[in-house]
Amino acid sequence: MDSDDDMHDANDVESVEDDDDDDEGFYSDEMGFDYYCSDDDADVDYVIEDDAEDFERIHSRRPENNYIVLKDSDIQQRQDDDITRVSTVLSISQDASGILLRHFNWSVSKVHEAWFADEERVRKMVGLLEELVVWFPNARELTCGICFESFPRGRIKSAACGHPFCSACWAGYISTSINDGPGCLLLRCPDPSCGAAVGQDMINSLASDEDKEKYSRYLHRSYIEDNKKTKWCPAPGCEYAVNFVGDNENYDVSCLCTYGFCWNCTEEAHRPVDCGTVAKWILKNSAESENMNWILANSKPCPKCKRPIEKNQGCMHMTCTPPCKFEFCWLCLGAWADHGERTGGFYACNRYEAAKQEGAYDEAERRREMAKNSLERYTHYYERWASNQTSRQKALADLHQMQTVHMEKLSETQSQPESQLKFITEAWQQIVECRRVLKWTYSYGYYLPEYEHAKRQFFEYLQGEAESGLERLHQCAEKELQQFLTADGPSKEFNDFRTKLAGLTRVTRNYFENLVRALENGLSDVDSQGTCSGTSSKSMAGTSKGKGGRGKGTSRTGGSSKNVDNVGAATPVVPILVRWLGSSSAHTQRERERERESSGNRKNNKRPSFQKLAELWIVGGVRVPKLSCVR
Amino acid sequence: MANSNLPRRIIKETQRLLSEPAPGISASPSEENMRYFNVMILGPSQSPYEGGVFKLELFLPEEYPMAPPKVRFLTKIYHPNIDKLGRICLDILKDKWSPALQIRTVLLSIQALLSAPNPDDPLSENIAKHWKTNETEAVETAKEWTRLYASGE
Repeated sequence: MDSDDDMHDANDVESVEDDDDDDEGFYSDEMGFDYYCSDDDADVDYVIEDDAEDFERIHSRRPENNYIVLKDSDIQQRQDDDITRVSTVLSISQDASGILLRHFNWSVSKVHEAWFADEERVRKMVGLLEELVVWFPNARELTCGICFESFPRGRIKSAACGHPFCSACWAGYISTSINDGPGCLLLRCPDPSCGAAVGQDMINSLASDEDKEKYSRYLHRSYIEDNKKTKWCPAPGCEYAVNFVGDNENYDVSCLCTYGFCWNCTEEAHRPVDCGTVAKWILKNSAESENMNWILANSKPCPKCKRPIEKNQGCMHMTCTPPCKFEFCWLCLGAWADHGERTGGFYACNRYEAAKQEGAYDEAERRREMAKNSLERYTHYYERWASNQTSRQKALADLHQMQTVHMEKLSETQSQPESQLKFITEAWQQIVECRRVLKWTYSYGYYLPEYEHAKRQFFEYLQGEAESGLERLHQCAEKELQQFLTADGPSKEFNDFRTKLAGLTRVTRNYFENLVRALENGLSDVDSQGTCSGTSSKSMAGTSKGKGGRGKGTSRTGGSSKNVDNVGAATPVVPILVRWLGSSSAHTQRERERERESSGNRKNNKRPSFQKLAELWIVGGVRVPKLSCVR
Repeated sequence: MANSNLPRRIIKETQRLLSEPAPGISASPSEENMRYFNVMILGPSQSPYEGGVFKLELFLPEEYPMAPPKVRFLTKIYHPNIDKLGRICLDILKDKWSPALQIRTVLLSIQALLSAPNPDDPLSENIAKHWKTNETEAVETAKEWTRLYASGE
């Protein structure tokens, strides 16, 4: 079997059905590569068995998640439970328990600990007095300490200290404090020398309805905001909170509102890129946004007829309106036909190659050129980052539209139960998630040092593969679906469409899983496979499987340190990937022989291209769990 | 006029300020606006401000006593917690205000602030820096300013 073709087939729309066999064959073809073949049969399953997989599996993994999404009622329930717990254990009123918990940031254990260590100190600090500070045993009238008016005893109120204030002044005092913000939750007696706490009971008996409402909202918010283990979902308008219970490094959180964010930095979910890179990138974007707004004005001229074109759909495949009808890529403005693998070209839209101009520049000219290049470089990455962001938004809207409008109709016209149409929403979910990942890989690419040539190439290769897979999937879901949406009755082609879309979804998912995994490893395979061939694949399998869950990388923050270590240990063995990239003169006789052996029955005995190598890496990799999908 | 609706608390405070003034402090309401007070504070003894007479203005906003009075020095003074516009950095005039505090307590606190400048919580960076790097010299400047600007008429 010709593995050159097989490889393309793996990507190819028409032959998704054959994938399994081909891949298996392909895999065994490569048994000669000692650093791939060490793995067991499980890896073959990875390619073959996928069909039955669906989102149920992702959902069923949810309980293992290290976070819990809290609704309004959940928050109330937890807050009440905590107050009751402390109140019971310390034998104090619910009101006092609430005051204590607020001071200790709603940590029941900290309250208990402090209280049993030194109750008196805690009482003093928090203002839970046990006896009056002032008392007027015989007075029938008392003077309010704020308005200085005299009132009959019954109309004077006090906190536990006994300082007398009239109801009207209390109401004013409480109202002022509540309108000043959440500080009202730690309210004390108005007497400046007195620290007696004023809890919710007093607020409720003295404040206006409006103020009571505000106070309880602050109390509600405080339970989330003061607690280190909970945060509000940052999505606009979302009122859910997330309770993070894990202690590992996977901070990806998906709220019930469908917004996915990073619990650590509360930016939008950005796996596999680490929080630091994301922060840098966002800062950079805001600093340069004016430039970018100007550069990336919403239209581009058609590369052929030069008419301005506004992108109105999510995928990058553009078709100019008739009579031009030129098909091109929105990102590189090159002809779309050049993007196919079969045309001899490869999908290079993710690749940044500054035009290198040779020639005699004077110093000023050179500096101007450099500044321009640096802006161009940034623009390149920013544009792709932003385009994928926009595409993702569009895909989200399409997914929603699909679920709420088209599904039912489609089920009718095609005479298929909705459960049989799940492959369409799955495709859209996959698109949404992939757009997110792809977007962040561009900020990753921007910060990947220029001098890391091997890594850059490997990265761009994986990214390019993932991207072209995604474009195919997006195009299929967006454009090819149209005819079925408008059809009057069942179409014969619908089953073919199902096969194609489901296949593309699966293939794309695999590409992205590999991309994510590689980035989370800090692209360390470029370094390590050369030195420890034969074991690296296996050890990688071990870690990935052991972690279960979502193919966690261990190098969220320190991906590169590992590589630095390897440099020291690097010995004379040139890392394999680099070697194949480099000139063939770097090959030793022994290596050539090994390659020849391993190529086995391949027709022409040329050394594997880099592309092929990376492909090998992909199919020869371990079985990784699916990417999570925003629901 | 505004004075007709003056809360009883303000009337009482004013009466007491006039009948039993605190030592070294005088405060009298303006004729036109009973919420506006002309204040004089004598520089406390054993402070660089000793012998000075410092004029201040004090205004009771509509929300008083729920909101603190607004106070500022009219006489130039060299003090790390008072800026060149006469604004005062004092907690009870800001977040530590309590409606149970009064004009009297506020003015006593300002007097105390003259006795005990706090360069660690400065309003005027330059003066505070001066105070911390060379206190003797800063105190001399404060005395000088007291002589120049606060020596009565």
